Amino acid sequence: MKHASIEREIRIEAAPDVVYKVVSAPEHVREWWPDEAAYTPAPGGTGVIAFGEEKCVPLTVLEADPPKLFRFRWAYGEGEVATPENSFLVTFELIPDGAGTLLRFSETGFTEKYAEDAERAQEYDDHVNGWNHFLPRLVAYAGRLVSSA
Amino acid sequence: MSDTIDDELWSAVGDPTRRRMLDLMLAEGGGTATTLSDRLPVTRQAIAKHLHLLERVGLVHSAAAGRERRYRVDEGQLARAVAQLSTVTAAWDARLQRIKRIAEAIQREQDRQDG
Repeated sequence: MKHASIEREIRIEAAPDVVYKVVSAPEHVREWWPDEAAYTPAPGGTGVIAFGEEKCVPLTVLEADPPKLFRFRWAYGEGEVATPENSFLVTFELIPDGAGTLLRFSETGFTEKYAEDAERAQEYDDHVNGWNHFLPRLVAYAGRLVSSA
Repeated sequence: MSDTIDDELWSAVGDPTRRRMLDLMLAEGGGTATTLSDRLPVTRQAIAKHLHLLERVGLVHSAAAGRERRYRVDEGQLARAVAQLSTVTAAWDARLQRIKRIAEAIQREQDRQDG
């Protein structure tokens, strides 16, 4: 899934247990992501995050291993059970780094709906490193679109 | 709401084979299932399936060319798909910066109380 995921790494000057609370506890998650968050931050815990008054998005916690790993699925349909086919998988991995924490983030799930393609695609991973390969080529086209608009 | 995405469009460009096809068509001004399968280690039949999917989400348009259909990339739709992906990536970057700020503020407060 590497080619179709967002991956980031960020160093935080705070201990892993502090960072863990910020990425997992609803009262903290509200501060950096949705307007509302209501779920149990334990494996199997389900709930919702809400954006404004209209958009309410289901969320299911898959793994909660303080202060090392927090993983959940989100953005599946209301009333559905979260599966690899219908949701995005978010993982926060926390690695102690001196007095601070190295926070590894990833969100995947964009191509899991096309599992057979993904299998076939593995042959190309050497040639095509996802968007890093693709995006620079698009800049020129985007520029042309703007100038011709 | 920056998390709202056109799921079908995103899945269409999320696949490496289709990205490679789009890349080739952009570079060569278009292509057919045959010309693309000549350039990629994928059967003509598989390429045809991918082209069909790309056309359904509007990323390519086709016209009859002899016995085959010739496909061209819809650059406007492609730019839209890219913009969506960039937006989602940028949104997560902003969230991670907020996580950093919040965690560091909590840590400073704890250190102050301990000290």
